[in-house]
Amino acid sequence: MKITGKAIAAGSAVAVLLSTFSLIGASASVDPKKAFPTKPVTLTMWWWGEQEAPGAQAWVDATVAAYKKKRPNVTIKTVLQTTDGLVPGFAAAAAAKSGPDLQYFWGGIYSQQPGWDGQIAPVSDYIPASELKHYINATTELSFQGKIWTAPWYVNPSFPVLARTDILSKYNQKVPKTWTELLKVCDVLSKEGVPTLAGGVKDGWFGGWLYSIIGGQSVTNKDVVAAVVGKQKFTDAKHADWWTRLQETKDRKCWNSDINSLELYQAQQLWKDGKAAMTVVAGPDAPNFANAVGASKVVVMAMPKWSTGQFAGKMGSTSQTIGITQWSKNKEVAADFIMFGHEKAQLDSWYNLTGSMPADDRFDLNSVKDPVKKALFKSALPGAPYLENFIPAQLDADAVFTNVQLVLAGTKTGKAAAADMQAVMERLRKTDRSLVKNFTAWNK
Amino acid sequence: MIKTAPSEYRVTAPRNLGAVFGRVRTSGPFLWILPAGLCVLFIFGYSVFDLVQQSFKYQGDWVGFENFSLVLTDPLFRTAIFHNFLLLFTVPILAVMSFTCAVLLFETRKGMKFYRSAVFLPYILPIPVIGVVFGQLLQLNGALNSALRAMGFESLALDWLGDPKQALWTMSGIIIWKEVGFGTILILARLISIPLETMEAARIDGAGFFRLHLQVTLPQLRAVILFYIINESIVMVSWVFNYVYVMTNGQGGPGNATVVSELYIYRSAFQNNAPELAATAALLLLLATLVFIIGFFRIQRNMSKGVFDD
Repeated sequence: MKITGKAIAAGSAVAVLLSTFSLIGASASVDPKKAFPTKPVTLTMWWWGEQEAPGAQAWVDATVAAYKKKRPNVTIKTVLQTTDGLVPGFAAAAAAKSGPDLQYFWGGIYSQQPGWDGQIAPVSDYIPASELKHYINATTELSFQGKIWTAPWYVNPSFPVLARTDILSKYNQKVPKTWTELLKVCDVLSKEGVPTLAGGVKDGWFGGWLYSIIGGQSVTNKDVVAAVVGKQKFTDAKHADWWTRLQETKDRKCWNSDINSLELYQAQQLWKDGKAAMTVVAGPDAPNFANAVGASKVVVMAMPKWSTGQFAGKMGSTSQTIGITQWSKNKEVAADFIMFGHEKAQLDSWYNLTGSMPADDRFDLNSVKDPVKKALFKSALPGAPYLENFIPAQLDADAVFTNVQLVLAGTKTGKAAAADMQAVMERLRKTDRSLVKNFTAWNK
Repeated sequence: MIKTAPSEYRVTAPRNLGAVFGRVRTSGPFLWILPAGLCVLFIFGYSVFDLVQQSFKYQGDWVGFENFSLVLTDPLFRTAIFHNFLLLFTVPILAVMSFTCAVLLFETRKGMKFYRSAVFLPYILPIPVIGVVFGQLLQLNGALNSALRAMGFESLALDWLGDPKQALWTMSGIIIWKEVGFGTILILARLISIPLETMEAARIDGAGFFRLHLQVTLPQLRAVILFYIINESIVMVSWVFNYVYVMTNGQGGPGNATVVSELYIYRSAFQNNAPELAATAALLLLLATLVFIIGFFRIQRNMSKGVFDD
């Protein structure tokens, strides 16, 4: 008794951590449509996006204010999330069944999983199909058995490579279009002490980008889902070859030497500062990067081709989205706000404030005069599937993020990385006992 | 003749009061801590109960020991536990450094308050601040390596947090830097309470600095040092999450080089949507921590005895 009592008290640190673990699956059923309420309503929106689309905060503030004028009884509180905190923050809220009414989700698996877990209500239950059909990428990544989980907000051309012609020409190099050309540029520039590509993988996210823009050249999203459910293997040549390509970039000294100790956004600064010839940036932010160094000196392009696959040389396209939480008591109001964000005034305002493309085909592309933006937007309509969004988030974090770090640190070969990815996937199929069923249903 | 009260009155009243006071005397402390005890029992007891329950279920269905089998065969969990084990090696280093710092501070005549604050300062700094500062400082092209290169020590300019071979040891160094202040102050406080006569006697008998502190001071600090060792062992097993999270952006990288058991639990629960596996791993961690907790209380009891003996 003595020891037990003391142990419980002293083990409090562990117990505190665990007290929040009672994660629950909510019912997938949704309330029937109701008339728009006239009583005061307060909605909370947790969102992300200022990080990749600077100006998004201004748009959110302006749109909330404009909505208040339209619906005076509705107050919307907005909370900007951090990159690392977006997913865990929502997971904690879902465990407690309280938190935001509106939640930001990346596309694909990041929207599917909360839907499968009963944490969000399908927006298609609250937004008419006639409206949803205009939302770009809604059916590609976000639909599941006839429902659409979340509503696209803005398009993320994924992910453009930016090349600085001033730096390349300084060393008599041209913008590389193929993999072989890229490696040759790496050979020349590395001898001069200049990184061809600037990147940072300390925070992991860039690993997922590289998987999508290099790995996506030899497979389709159907192939990837087939490997997830066990019908193909991540060690098959078409899935595994990209790891070898990645190792080649390490061997040929394409990257900044401190890639493992820098976060992605810190590394991109090297490119802005003229210390690297090329980098990869978030689609919505690409025009800002280009304009920062002078658009005339920048070529916006897809990752140089190494494969003859269907999507080699093409830019991926995904939409960042907003979903309605299962526990929200005002789902109709939340849906109404989402639709308000897709009205012409808001679509134009989004473009004007962020310079990126709203995820709505009613946005007039002719109003875009900037050639960089225009080329970027067109590349996303329709773009290649964004591969990272079609694998389990845990596979992304436990196999892609980690192995990219190790390959770029030079402590693992591409072949070993592919084997590890397959091993993690096989293990995941055991631990997530609903995974195969959900992915199979999604892929139909 | 003195009249006395009736025998039944005379005998029963004082005896009953004494019994009541006696009972109050023995059960009183328990009554005083009862509200707090119930509160603790409810909050932590419920959590532990819920934890045990979850670790035997999957999506509400009873699965027996399946979750335990999955966790124990997970290479990542084993890696995480191994890293916690490796971090235990920092504990003796911490103990030696804390003892050394405490003795040096004790022997310092001038500026003792300043040095004491300087040593203790890292301990009170918030871990996120430490994470950000060291994250910048220890980059491959960060301030530390720039300074090393400027001094001609190019070979010592390592990728401290970016190289999987060094990242955990770098993390250990940062943890030592922060935690040593606590040990120093703890040991110094006990050191100051040792009667000066003992030390004077040893000095008169010809004991030098090292002999004095190794053979006279150290034995008297045994209880407090043991307490510190157990406390830091618990820290290394179940309290290093913050360091790893802030310095690796919640990844435990590069690769899995700095994954520890708490990060495994956090990621399972909040990133990988596997609360049952998180609960199972947490239960295993709790059991491992209990070993140290039991040791902790035994040491504490011995230390109390030691204090009174002293």
